[in-house]
Amino acid sequence: MSATVAPDSILRELAALWTQQGQQGDAGVLRACTMTLLVIAEAADDAAALGETVAALMPEHPARAILIRLRGEGERALSQRVYQQCWKPFGQRQQICCEQIEITASDAALADLPSVILPLAVPDLPVILWCQSARLVRRPEFGEIAGMATKVVIDSAAAGDSTDAIVCMADGVRSGGILADLAWTRLTRWRETLARVFENRDTLARLSEVDSVQVRFGPGYETAAWYLAAWAANALASVGQVVTPVISRQDESLRLELSGGTFRVELSRQEDRLVTVVNEQSNCTNLPRPTDYLLMREELGIVRRDAVFERTLASAARLAVSSSSGPS
Amino acid sequence: MPNENPFQDPLRFERQVPECVIVIFGANGDLTKRKLLPALYRLAFDRRLSAGFAIVGISRTPMSDDDFREKMRASVEQFSEDTKLDNDVWAAFARGLFYVSGDIGDAGLYQRLGEKLGQIESDRHTGGNALFYLSTQPSQYAPIAHGIGAAGLGKGSGWRRLVVEKPFGHDLASARELSDRLHEVFDETAVYRIDHYLGKETVQNILAFRFGNGIFEPLWNRRYVNHVQITGAESIGVEGRGAYYQEAGALDDMIQNHLLQVMATIAMEPCASFQATSVRDERSKLLRSIRPLTADEVRQNAVAGQYGPASIGGKDVPGFRQEEGVDANSQTDTYAAVTFFVDNWRWAGVPFYVRTGKRLAKRVSEIAIQFNTAPLHLFNQDSGETSVNLLILRIQPEEGISLKFLSKRPGSGMTLRPVSMDFNYGSSFGERSPSAYETLLLDAIVGDPTLYTRQDMVEASWSVVEPIQNAWREAKADFPNYAAGSWGPAAADEMLARRGHVWRKP
Repeated sequence: MSATVAPDSILRELAALWTQQGQQGDAGVLRACTMTLLVIAEAADDAAALGETVAALMPEHPARAILIRLRGEGERALSQRVYQQCWKPFGQRQQICCEQIEITASDAALADLPSVILPLAVPDLPVILWCQSARLVRRPEFGEIAGMATKVVIDSAAAGDSTDAIVCMADGVRSGGILADLAWTRLTRWRETLARVFENRDTLARLSEVDSVQVRFGPGYETAAWYLAAWAANALASVGQVVTPVISRQDESLRLELSGGTFRVELSRQEDRLVTVVNEQSNCTNLPRPTDYLLMREELGIVRRDAVFERTLASAARLAVSSSSGPS
Repeated sequence: MPNENPFQDPLRFERQVPECVIVIFGANGDLTKRKLLPALYRLAFDRRLSAGFAIVGISRTPMSDDDFREKMRASVEQFSEDTKLDNDVWAAFARGLFYVSGDIGDAGLYQRLGEKLGQIESDRHTGGNALFYLSTQPSQYAPIAHGIGAAGLGKGSGWRRLVVEKPFGHDLASARELSDRLHEVFDETAVYRIDHYLGKETVQNILAFRFGNGIFEPLWNRRYVNHVQITGAESIGVEGRGAYYQEAGALDDMIQNHLLQVMATIAMEPCASFQATSVRDERSKLLRSIRPLTADEVRQNAVAGQYGPASIGGKDVPGFRQEEGVDANSQTDTYAAVTFFVDNWRWAGVPFYVRTGKRLAKRVSEIAIQFNTAPLHLFNQDSGETSVNLLILRIQPEEGISLKFLSKRPGSGMTLRPVSMDFNYGSSFGERSPSAYETLLLDAIVGDPTLYTRQDMVEASWSVVEPIQNAWREAKADFPNYAAGSWGPAAADEMLARRGHVWRKP
């Protein structure tokens, strides 16, 4: 493996690929690009699965994808590979192609990455950084790489210390960054289901009875529990009902309950189903574990500040700190 | 009680679709089978409809709910272009399908419909919301609205809306009369006149293109735009609809509604907000700014045509007068081209050439905006070639935007050649675009009339079209005057030539 990578030669390789592609067939090739998608993952992670996820994202979010694979310790080393991903939409003669660049870097070469990434980013379009490596987030080089991105996507649920992760994210948002957390994205269906419950005017009228928000969570759902509790409490506060959420551990996965008087709404995950109970009436919908593809598809569609998330993140960070400093 | 649901998150959640029942009059008709049911099934497939959503089909043919479900299943299987029928999704969707048979003139039909709606409301919790969709002969619109009103179904515990298909009348007086009859039961705010052209992604994209970008709007006026060509061409003939088409004609069938709406979208002033009323006000204002032609002006600025027989690709195709159900001496226009002028400060003096026709060279709908040439021709002086900057907004078949400009040919010497920069809407984003009916049906359910035509817009269009109708009725045309498979009559070329312009051949 070489110790250097020349961005100019990568760009030349890309241009040559386009020229070659254009010479094949008479229908031509359509180049589509809406962003630079920078994905950082550990070399030990499943490369094929990641490649499939990125490929699946391209039709809706055509991008120049830069995949950076971290090799870990060892001598200073960088290497690169350039290729195209093309597809022909149903019924269309023209191929659509996106560019992919794969760079492998050892830890010793991390400091060199910004100087490689910067010229490779497509000018004038947003740069979205999806950092799958929890290890990199804690390294000093991460700040400079993240600084090049319009939006940074991480997964606090995968962090070793989720309290630390969520507090760091809240700090990042406070200092002006646009961040996203896949632990929050996983809750979209939950939140949408709860919102639908209150689309019914009779149920909405009973919202004023709610004086308790309880979230119970099992292993792996800690950040989800903070988010869910913070979001529900913030939504209630926006209509003048101040409720302090109660978060507790239990064996099962995740459960949210809003209650007060004779009114109760409960959402819980039971295997691959989301069970909604409104007083005595229950409803069950399919809720498969969202894949990385589905989560990133949602996040790539939002390249701006997400006020609901940012408000929730700030509140969730406070809940995380208070729950880590003592039992709730 | 809070007025709004505090748990909503519009940035991430799909638009909330209220529970409702759609009542389709003409449930056995072609439009229902080809467009409405496939569109509604696709919305269900995409989980865009609420759990209690229901459809009640109405037509004269006696049928059970189960027969209707089977029939609709066959339609969805046959006419869903890009959605495979999923058995589980269909099973849930079909549970919400019901059928009531009867004659639209029979008061008993509306009583039975009322009972069915009551039962659905209690079983499926539709909240009393109902959308009545008239997919019938236009002559039945007023009697159906009357029947709905007389049975007390025009009002209920939820909202009630009425969707009507074009044509909205056949001239200004009949359009007003139809509106008056509908308003006896439904307020104008509850009347949704559907124009499926406005539901197409590219037509909506015109608004995004014009008002979402800063670079085009400064050029969008008489100072920079030389002229505009709007084409709605079809390669097919009347396809068994000869009897209907004979009564309508190209001017009424396409220009009065679809193409004038497209022109209004292209030429309207920026609206203050993207609220339905603001957008529709601006469209309406533009339509009212189109100068109605005098009888003399019609001769110079409007051309009627009718296709004659021809051989296309070795296949003999009949002329319009040889089509089934068409009078052998028919005077119906299967082609219409009109030069419109907009009397406002932005567009004064800029011709808008609008043409449509059956059996033209190819199926294409597009808007071509031709900009003025460079004031000084520095290059290709000897070739006589003028530099033409064209912006083309393609509506169908491949939705997209192209910009034509001159570029230096590689090599020594300063030789220029035109190049086209293309954006293909459908394929640049690999995601499927919703069909026009999916978009419009969802809009009607959520109560967003932005893409629907309002009464004043319909009347303004008829005010522009009526003088042309009248002039054409008074003079006997020498039809047929263009061969099937061509780009229309020579008179249409002459109409543009008088101003030094030429029709594009898309």
